Amino acid sequence: MIGFLAKRAGLSLVTLWLLSVIVFAGAQVLPGNLGRAMLGPFADQRAVDQLNHEMGTDRPLLVQYGDWIAGFLTGDLGQSYAYRAPVEEFLLPALANSAKLALVAFLLVVPLGILGGIVAALKVNRPLDRAIMVFGLSATIVPEFVSGIVLILVFGVWLQWLPLSATWPTGADFGTQLYHLLLPSIPLVLILFGYIARMARAGMVEALDADYTRTAVLKGLSRRTVIWRHVLRNALLPTISVIATQTAYLIGGLVVIEVLFHYQGIGSLIYTAANKKDFPTLQAGVLVVGIVFALASLAADLLYALLNPRIRLGSA
Amino acid sequence: MNINFKLLDALRRGRSEHENHLIDGLVAGRVSRREFMRHGSVLGLSLPFLGSIAAAVGLPAAISRPARAAAGGTIRLAQTVPAASIDPVKIADGGGITTLSQVAETLVLSGADLAAQPVLAESWSPNQDGSVWTFKLRRGVKFHNGKEMTADDVVASIDRLADPDNGSNALSVFTGMLQKGATRKVDDHTVEFHLDVANGNFPYALSTDNYNAVILPADYAGDFESQMIGTGPFKLEKYAAKVGASFVRNEAYWGGPAPADRIEIGYYNDYQPQILALQGGQVDVIQQIPVLQGVGLLNDPNVEIISTPSTAHQQVHMRVDLDPFKDKRVRRAIALCLDRPALVKGLMKGKALLGNDTPFASAYPSTDPTVAQREKNIAEAKQLMEAAGLAGGFETTLTTEKYLEIPDFAVLIQNAVKEIGGKININLLDQGAYYGDAVYGNSPWLDSDMGITDYGHRGVPNVFLSAPLKSDGTWNSAHFHNAEYDRLVTSYIAALDLESQRENAGKIQRLLLDESPLIIAYFYDFLTATRKGVTGVQPTAMGQLLLGKASL
Amino acid sequence: MSVALQPPAAGALRARDEWYARLRLILRSRTFLVGFVILLFWVCCALFGEAVVPYDPYADDVLNSLLPPSAEHWFGTDQLGRDVFSRVIVGARDILTVAPLATLVGTVLGTALGLVMGYFRGLVDEAVSRLVDALLALPTVIVALLALVALGPSTLTVILVIGFTFAPIIARTVRASVLAERELDYVAAARLRREGALHIMFIEILPNVLGPILVESTVRLGYAIFAVATLSFIGFGIQPPSPDWGLSISANYGLISGGFWWTVLFDGLAIASLVVAVNLVADGIAGALSD
Repeated sequence: MIGFLAKRAGLSLVTLWLLSVIVFAGAQVLPGNLGRAMLGPFADQRAVDQLNHEMGTDRPLLVQYGDWIAGFLTGDLGQSYAYRAPVEEFLLPALANSAKLALVAFLLVVPLGILGGIVAALKVNRPLDRAIMVFGLSATIVPEFVSGIVLILVFGVWLQWLPLSATWPTGADFGTQLYHLLLPSIPLVLILFGYIARMARAGMVEALDADYTRTAVLKGLSRRTVIWRHVLRNALLPTISVIATQTAYLIGGLVVIEVLFHYQGIGSLIYTAANKKDFPTLQAGVLVVGIVFALASLAADLLYALLNPRIRLGSA
Repeated sequence: MNINFKLLDALRRGRSEHENHLIDGLVAGRVSRREFMRHGSVLGLSLPFLGSIAAAVGLPAAISRPARAAAGGTIRLAQTVPAASIDPVKIADGGGITTLSQVAETLVLSGADLAAQPVLAESWSPNQDGSVWTFKLRRGVKFHNGKEMTADDVVASIDRLADPDNGSNALSVFTGMLQKGATRKVDDHTVEFHLDVANGNFPYALSTDNYNAVILPADYAGDFESQMIGTGPFKLEKYAAKVGASFVRNEAYWGGPAPADRIEIGYYNDYQPQILALQGGQVDVIQQIPVLQGVGLLNDPNVEIISTPSTAHQQVHMRVDLDPFKDKRVRRAIALCLDRPALVKGLMKGKALLGNDTPFASAYPSTDPTVAQREKNIAEAKQLMEAAGLAGGFETTLTTEKYLEIPDFAVLIQNAVKEIGGKININLLDQGAYYGDAVYGNSPWLDSDMGITDYGHRGVPNVFLSAPLKSDGTWNSAHFHNAEYDRLVTSYIAALDLESQRENAGKIQRLLLDESPLIIAYFYDFLTATRKGVTGVQPTAMGQLLLGKASL
Repeated sequence: MSVALQPPAAGALRARDEWYARLRLILRSRTFLVGFVILLFWVCCALFGEAVVPYDPYADDVLNSLLPPSAEHWFGTDQLGRDVFSRVIVGARDILTVAPLATLVGTVLGTALGLVMGYFRGLVDEAVSRLVDALLALPTVIVALLALVALGPSTLTVILVIGFTFAPIIARTVRASVLAERELDYVAAARLRREGALHIMFIEILPNVLGPILVESTVRLGYAIFAVATLSFIGFGIQPPSPDWGLSISANYGLISGGFWWTVLFDGLAIASLVVAVNLVADGIAGALSD
């Protein structure tokens, strides 16, 4: 298993390195004047040139890239054009905020999705199954800001059950925070529900049909025990890897959700940076997102390896 | 009019020639009471004195009601995130200005009625030709660190701003007017300002209009954020960049302790979250809401909207040196396409005043009111286009910024010129991208064929007349070079009395209407929103928020 | 070589019968029909909408701004007084131009890439796979956003950028199919005839992997619409003054708290219906062709 994980970790690193090159190159395509952006449009040109020289934007690209990576690894993410402050000062709190929102979404969608898949599998090919699958498929493809708007109108404006902004007043307790995060998490739940339900359903259908299930039933175990003890574990294995890969879609959705619900997360940070052409923040934000995704994939692989005896015992 | 000549005579004694001339104007009816009060304040006359004169001339006095304030409580404000650190010398955006105004003050306040009111300066007066102004400072004003404010502090503060090496935004006001070293201490409470050229409106250059001109201790060495030492009604408690700040009452404030115990400012990325916070009861005051975003609040019964008349406007420029705008008839024709009353009523929901394509807003006393207001006239516009040889139409690109209602205004202009065969392509840029480097050749704002730029409020039109329109102006996006215009503006700026100002204004207005390098369709109000029950809030159209008398 | 021994005419007849059978299967699926009808409706709006709508979608009427739905304005008016109903109908046009074109770009590129990767294998395959993995490490929207910030958003760049981000995904599917096909006899036969690699890839193999390509690209069309709408919402997709749905929502969602719901709800429902319709159609096709 160690060998398997090492190989996966190595591949992740290569992928991340390639990503950093792509991100850095992408940001260099546009001629941006870091010094001018930092000092503002009315500052003297001499001061701008001096600042550019101090910050080393006139050095060869390869050297700048090396510096950027070295800085990144030691926690220096560069200076934001728009906020005239070090990026890490607001990027890390933003990441924490996004993590909270993603966590709420996960905690809702994983049980709901699995439950949906199980129910669908137990009533396979009957109307309920079809309904759940079509609903899941449709919910996945509807953009988050569309479902977000409908939810805001229904629950925020007309029924007034939930707040329109995901940002809670400073110092609010856990309950209030949850209250504010509930509505924004629902579009994310909708996006992921379909995939998870489908994987769980497929796993369940396969497991229900398998030899060991039939054996267990023949042995006299109740249907419920069979499902609980044998079927579920085998059904959930592929579901776990799906959850990890869906992290990518989750992060993409964060940009839109955080903008719509006025939430200071990494998604809205990337949005603001894109609009203000704040390349250092944009670069750092995108790379951080890539890292998060790579870590999530690795974690999913680890979990999968632990649960799959074939890999754990090293026969792969 | 029942004129009490004996009283009047007594009051007149010892007044300067300019002041007497103004009083003559009031007596003869050439100057209205409001204009008299306002212009008198520019000349440095105190309000009570002006009131006495007005009374002596038989004009009814304005009734002022002192607000009965309840003590205590924390007032929570919402503003947009300051773009940079809170540095009085460099600050330029609303979030920063509002924060600064809690702790630091200027010599003069440019108030809601455009009158110049004394703050840290008690009184002021010009010399004979308006090239030297003498300011008398208020006594007993203490900084937050206990030190008393004297002329040394004023000299140091203003010199710091006039110094080109410090790159302050105040230079846009001081360049060509006041140099470093031209501010001189006469005694501990008197300061003289020696101007480069005579300027009849100089006190505004030291007012809240010039938001950097706060008075700091002479030994201020930078790093304002750590302690924020100033003279304001509140002292810094805590400052967290990008997040918020809190202030406590300054018990030693020269104007008496404020009713509120504390002020809390929260910084928001956009206007919408501020509005949601107000509706949700999380903040008490939003310093500025644009009409478009705040349209839902206008009818909300739990919200009070304070409308501060301002001379802020969206300036449309047309490059007079490029096709199709080279011919001034084309420019006039385009200006005639706009339905201005509809813009004011529909786009700005009535919270604006009509503009007449010159910086002379009707709110300014020096504006010549006899100049006719331009109205929509498609027939005349078509005639002009035909005379200019463009009856077949024209095409151009309008480049502008995503800010407030400007994108919507651009679409309305685009639609309006269709009636004379005009095709406008809109290029919308982010605000930073639109300003670019703010120098000719490197800025869509200054280089574009046609554009719309946001201009903030000014208590007097001097800046509006110079920077965007004079031949040597640094903000001249229309590339307008007209020697007659330059001459008239210089006369206007030097004029010390209201009537000659107005005479020059009339000439300038007529010249600009004829040449039409700019379209200024409306001057919009500055809107501040408060929760019902909050009183005594005094906003300025520049971004300051004076809470010295505010209470919940 | 069972196919070669069949008389050609019979073989062709059988293939045609098969396609008809599949078509009948597709048309019998209720979900497919619902999707198809909705899609057809929006396509008609895109083509003929501007001629049919009651008001000019671009004409402003500022004095009548923000009116709620009524008999004169079925969907109400926006903050410039423009009729929302007309704008929603005409708004179909841009998204139904950009998204299909982007899908086309992605399909063509992805197919070519997948054929090359699957046929040649080895170093080319490995290197490109690593690159593809790196790009797939990020959600489409963020990759597209990064590219559009650097290049500046315009209709052409949006089409190209989304097409390029889809190509790797399609390439993967095509590669998998090609890997299976290249082991079959007809490929070996072609090699024996000394046909060049290009001929084998595009003339021999390609027709046999058309099925999966079709399925994949219809699914991708749904995601293209999703991506274009999302990018328009965050300001880097379709540019003003288009009445595009995503763009309208981004301009008006700030008005929700003031109670002006009609400025965003109808655009949102339009996006949802289009995107679900395309997906139902794709689902139907996939179901029929997967037998």
